[in-house]
Amino acid sequence: MKARFLLTVVLYFTAVPAFADIGRQVDLDWPQIIAFATHQTNYSGTFVYQHDGHMESARMTHIYDQSGEHEKLESMDGPRRAFIRNNNEVRWYSGDKNALQVERQYSSKRFPALQPELLSVLNENYLIQTAEQARISGFDTQAIVFQPKDTLRYTHKMWAHMDSGLLLKTAVLDERKEIVEQYTFIQLNIGGKIERTQVMPDKSATSLEQQPHFATPSETSEQAATSEWKVAAVPTGFKKIMEKHRPLHGKKTNVIHLVFSDGLAGISVFIETSVNNLEKRLGLSSRGAIHVYRKIKDDYLVTVVGEVPPRTVIQVADSVRQNGQ
Amino acid sequence: MKQEISTLMDGELFDDDAEATLDKLKRNPDIHEEWRTYHLISDVLRQSDNVHANISIAIHERLQAEPTILSPHNRASHNARWFALSAAASVMALTLVAWLSVQVGSETAPQIAMQQSNTVHSANLPANGLDDYLMAHQELSPSLNMHGMTSYVHTVARQQEDQQP
Repeated sequence: MKARFLLTVVLYFTAVPAFADIGRQVDLDWPQIIAFATHQTNYSGTFVYQHDGHMESARMTHIYDQSGEHEKLESMDGPRRAFIRNNNEVRWYSGDKNALQVERQYSSKRFPALQPELLSVLNENYLIQTAEQARISGFDTQAIVFQPKDTLRYTHKMWAHMDSGLLLKTAVLDERKEIVEQYTFIQLNIGGKIERTQVMPDKSATSLEQQPHFATPSETSEQAATSEWKVAAVPTGFKKIMEKHRPLHGKKTNVIHLVFSDGLAGISVFIETSVNNLEKRLGLSSRGAIHVYRKIKDDYLVTVVGEVPPRTVIQVADSVRQNGQ
Repeated sequence: MKQEISTLMDGELFDDDAEATLDKLKRNPDIHEEWRTYHLISDVLRQSDNVHANISIAIHERLQAEPTILSPHNRASHNARWFALSAAASVMALTLVAWLSVQVGSETAPQIAMQQSNTVHSANLPANGLDDYLMAHQELSPSLNMHGMTSYVHTVARQQEDQQP
């Protein structure tokens, strides 16, 4: 153990001078390269996701062609779950070993990869630096650290493939430098032709048409909301990028959805009229780096979701006000 | 002696030497034990299918023969020490069986894993009613820019029980 530690130290001091890039404040190239690679490369692989003392694996397939973006994410452990995207349409499949069926369908307006203003916001809120070069899953990668300028957001460390820019590994760290969540590709094929069938549901999957009671929220039912609500204590650097009335599965009435972004992390605020609030789960819950905080505000149920520390979602939820109050 | 046993097993001893070694083996139970150990090592190295079953039967018999657990515990301290040692030996024997089944019985391990995943994680989704909020958030979160659909792993993740701090 001791010898190993010593070896690490020795290796560190001998290897570090070899990488002149380390610790250099990078311009915005890497985030752009990563975003481009994520959306415009063909790849398929298996990654391990670690969070809250759990570890599970999932398979990811991504195709970018003339007709756009097609991707599939499926769980490899436990109950079968999969997401399949065809451009703006996302379907959520679930099932057992016999059959998969469509659980939900979402239609979304996706942002074009990293708008320039989002990039400058990113640079204002995080110190972006290159760190070590590492070999992950057989690929040479460059680590990039996004260090926040306050403790209301997490540190993100990403290992991007040197050649393609694809992310091979990502870790989210809290202020004590402890890992909140992490995912690592353990196997990855980059580029080349991937059959479209790989991002289609299994043959056993029930098609949408066979599910008569299946409701698809349409774009038209979403309206831009007028600012009847305000969130007073959004951390500095988060900007409101959207506010609208939207349908949410299982809700009879539309909910108000506000989205804030600091370029890397997002905070969503959902406001809905509170019915049967007794059965609602209030308070804080977590999944990896995503925290959810729910509270009753007057006659409304406020739900805050974000890739930010618990104290941030609580602070945001506590500061939701109806205009004129 | 070890050298001789090893050479004997490899069939490289001359007839006379082999007979002498076998004689020693018959007379001395300690060396007999060594003989069995060498065969075990050889079987494990060759990944022979029989190893797992034979060993576990042998160990099972030895465990059956052990008086540890059923003995009354108001005995003198030297007995207690003996019990502790034999208990430790039992644990080690069990560990050996477990290790061997992982090392040798390549087919048994995945079966065990499958059974576990079927029985333990039977919860259906959406388990907590928050998935729809997560989905709505993920579609608009800037993390989608950098991570793509990989960020959906939060919703696809098997572990549905939310932690209440």
